[in-house]
Amino acid sequence: MEVYNKTFRNTPNSLPGRQAGELQTPNSPKAHRVVITGLGVISSIGVGIEVFWKNCLQGISGIKPIQGFDVSSYRSRLGGQLPEIDFKAFVKPANLRRMDRIGKMVVSSVRLALDDSGLNLSEEDSSRVGISIGTGLGSSDTVDQFFRSLLKEGPIGAAPLLFQTAVPNAITSHCAIEYGIKGVNITFSHKESSTEMAMTFAYHLLREGKADVIFAGGGDELSEPLYHVYSMLGALSPGKGRGAEEMKPFDQDRNGIVLGEGSGILVLETLEHAKKREARIYAEMAGAGLSGSTDGLLRYDLKGDSIARAMSLAVKDFQAVDYISAAANSTPDLDRGETLAIKKVFGERAKEISVSSLKSLLGEFDGSGGIRACALALSLHHGMIPPTIGTKHLDPQCDVNVVLGQSKRNEMRSALLNSCSNGGSNISLWIKQYPFS
Amino acid sequence: MRKRVVITGLGVVSAVGNHLSEFWNSLVEGKDGIKEITVFDPSAYRTKIAAEVSHLDPEAYFSKKEIRRLSRCDQFGLIAFREAWTSAGLERDSLDKERAGVVLGAGSGGILSVEKYFRGFYQGQKKSSPSLLISYSLATTTDHIAIESDLKGPRTTTATVCSSSSASLGVAFEMIQMGLADVMVTGGSDSLCEVSYSGFSSLKLVDPESCKPFDKRRQGLVIGEGAGILILEELEHALERDAPIHAEFLGYGICADAYHLTAPEPNGEGVERVIRIALADAGVSPEEVDTINAHGTATLFNDIAETRGMKRVFGERAREIPISGIKSMVGHCLGSAGGIEAVATVMTLKTGTIPPTIHYEVPDPLCDLNYTPNRSIKKDVRIAISNSFAFGGNNVCLVFKKFSSE
Repeated sequence: MEVYNKTFRNTPNSLPGRQAGELQTPNSPKAHRVVITGLGVISSIGVGIEVFWKNCLQGISGIKPIQGFDVSSYRSRLGGQLPEIDFKAFVKPANLRRMDRIGKMVVSSVRLALDDSGLNLSEEDSSRVGISIGTGLGSSDTVDQFFRSLLKEGPIGAAPLLFQTAVPNAITSHCAIEYGIKGVNITFSHKESSTEMAMTFAYHLLREGKADVIFAGGGDELSEPLYHVYSMLGALSPGKGRGAEEMKPFDQDRNGIVLGEGSGILVLETLEHAKKREARIYAEMAGAGLSGSTDGLLRYDLKGDSIARAMSLAVKDFQAVDYISAAANSTPDLDRGETLAIKKVFGERAKEISVSSLKSLLGEFDGSGGIRACALALSLHHGMIPPTIGTKHLDPQCDVNVVLGQSKRNEMRSALLNSCSNGGSNISLWIKQYPFS
Repeated sequence: MRKRVVITGLGVVSAVGNHLSEFWNSLVEGKDGIKEITVFDPSAYRTKIAAEVSHLDPEAYFSKKEIRRLSRCDQFGLIAFREAWTSAGLERDSLDKERAGVVLGAGSGGILSVEKYFRGFYQGQKKSSPSLLISYSLATTTDHIAIESDLKGPRTTTATVCSSSSASLGVAFEMIQMGLADVMVTGGSDSLCEVSYSGFSSLKLVDPESCKPFDKRRQGLVIGEGAGILILEELEHALERDAPIHAEFLGYGICADAYHLTAPEPNGEGVERVIRIALADAGVSPEEVDTINAHGTATLFNDIAETRGMKRVFGERAREIPISGIKSMVGHCLGSAGGIEAVATVMTLKTGTIPPTIHYEVPDPLCDLNYTPNRSIKKDVRIAISNSFAFGGNNVCLVFKKFSSE
C-alpha cells in the first residue's frame, strides 16, 4: 500500500481518496468471497488444461503458418490456430449442427471447465447458475459467409440459420441451451478487454450474492475476414514491412502482433458454495479494477496512467503481488505503456515482480483473457510461471522483470491479469493464492 | 451499502425525433416513425419499411473529416450523448473524469460501414477505404464517446443485440456499485444495415406494413435505428452538484430462457423469472408496479410469451397495469432499443404520461392486457419497469422509480 501511495502522489492522475471505501474492503460482512474451481481451455497449444499447462511451461508456441485460407496476398503469414478438434466429444449432437466454429469452441471450453470443476448441474438451482462471455469479434466468419451470400444472391441468399448464429450473443445462448443455464446471461464485446469484463461482471455478481456459480471467460476465432481486417488496419507483424514476422512482447525488435484464437472458461463460485460441495479451489478472485484511456480510437494507453489505475483499483495488498500476466502484445505502444504502469504502481518493488506475456505462445486475440486467466490460476496453484518466449533482447523501455526463455518456479501469494484494449478500456484482475498465506 | 443511482441526463436520436423533447412529444402524440427505407435500396426485399432516422444533418454536429471517420451508428451515439451530457450539466460542472465511464449496448454497430468496405472489396472495386474497417469492432461507438469527452472511468460494450442497451444499464449500475465510478454514460446506439435487415427478413419476422404489437393482425417487427443515452449518477454525487434528477434506477435483472436460439420460451417462464429477479433486486413488490414498457416486438411469439410472463408475475392485476409498446412508433432499434425505451420509461415517470401502443385495433385473445391502445394516458406513476428480450432468450428487465429524495 505504501508503495502505491508514494507512487501515485507524484503522478498527475492521483487516485481520489474516497475510492478506498467499500471497494477496497475485500471481506466486508456482506460480500461473498469468490473462488475459481474449474478451468476449461481450447487453445492452439492444447485442448484441456493438462496438455495446455504442460506446453505453457515448456514454452511451446502455437504460432505456425496459416492454414485453411490463402494468405499469399498479405505481408503476414502466421497465426496461432487451433488444431483439428472433434467437437462431437464435447457438444450434444442435436445442438452441434446449429453452432458455428466459435460457438463450438466456447461451448466446448465450458464443458471442459464444468468437468474439471466436478459440479453436477442437475443438483444446482439453474436460476442461480449464470454465464458471462466476452468475445471481440465473435462469429466473424459466419457474418462474412452471410454477407457474401447476400451480396451474391440478394435477399433470397440470406440464410436464416447463419443469421441466428451470427449475432454476438449466440455463443452465450448456445452455452445456456446446452447446459440449461438459466441465471445471468450476458455477452461483452469490447476488443481486448472483452473476456476480462465478462469475468469482472461475474465476480461482482457473485460477491453480491446474485448467483452461486458463473461460467466466465470467452474467446475469439481467427477467421479469414478478421485476418483481412487486422491486416488492412496495419496491426499485424510485420506492421510496417520491417523485420521478421514474430510475436515477442517487450523485445526491442518486435514489430506488431500475430493473431491467435481460442477460448478459456473459468468456473467462478462463491466460497460457501465451493466449500459445501468440497470443491477443489485453484485460486481466489479478489479484485477487479477498470479504467479508460483516451489516446485515440486505435491507440493503447501510451503513458500507462490508466493501466496503472486499473491495477491499483484491483489490488488490495500491493506487497502480496508476485506476478503479472501482462497484456503486452508485441506492439511498442502497449509493451511500453504497460511497463510504465507497472513501475508507477509498484515503484522499486517492480523489479521483484515476475512479468510474463502468454501472448508470446498464443498470439494476440481479443478474447484471450479467458485462457490467460486459466493459466494464471494454474500458476498460483502450482507455483510456476510460463515464459515469454520469442523475446530475447528487452526493449530498454520495457525494463521489467520479464520471465524469458524458460518457465520459472515462483511461489506467489497473488498475481494480476492485465488487459488493455486499443481505444482504451483497461481491466486488471487480482487473483490470490487459496488459501492465502 | 448499496448506492442509490439516479438518472441525470437523457439524449435521443430516433425516427420520431432527433432530440429528447421532439421524441417525447411524438410518443405522447402516437406518431408513427416508420416509412420507406432510404439508407440502402430495399427494392429486392419483400418488405421495404423501417423506422429510419431522418432530418438529421451530420454537418450540424461534425466536421467533414469527422463524418468520413464516423459510422452512422457513431454519429447517432455521439449526438445523443452530447444532449444527455450537456443537459446533465456535466460539461459545466467540474468532474473527476477518472470516475466517469461509458457502458453502451451494441447490436449491428457500425456494420453499415463494414458492409460498404466489403461490398467494394468482394465486387473487385479498389475504392474501399480501410478506414471503414475501424467500425469492425462493436466497441467503436463506446470508445468514440469516451474519447470525445476524455472520460477515463470503466468502459465496456454489451453485445446481446436486442437486449444490449438494457443490459448496459445493469452493467453501468454495477460499475457505480463497485465504487469505480460516480457517473456512467449508458444506453446504446445502432443504425440500419443490410445484414440485420436481411437477417430478420430471412427469419420471416418483419411486418411489411406497420408495427402492431399485441394486435391480432401483427406480422412481425419493423427494424428501427437511433440512439438512447442516459447518464446514471450516484445520488450523493448528483445532489452535491445540484444536478437535474429525472428518475431513480432501482435495479435490474438479467437471465436466460435456455430454450431456443431465436424463439422465446412460449409459456413466459423466462419473462416471469427476469421480472421477478429485477423486482427483488430493486426491493419492489409486484403490487407496486404502475406501468410497463413492454419489449413488444409484434412478432407472433414474443407478444404471447411476454403477455403470459406478465400475467404470471402480476396475476389478475396484470390487466390493470397500463403497458406501452413504443416499438409501434420507433421500430425495433436492436442495440439501442433498450436505451431508447429506458429514456421513454424515465419520461413516463417524470411526466405522468404513458405513451400508447399505436396501430392497435384487433385484440388477440392470447394478448389480453391493457396495452394503452392508440392514445397516451395521464396517470400518476411511481414505479415503472422496462422489458427487453433478445435472441436466445437473453432477458433483461429494468426497474425505475419516480424520484423523491426520501
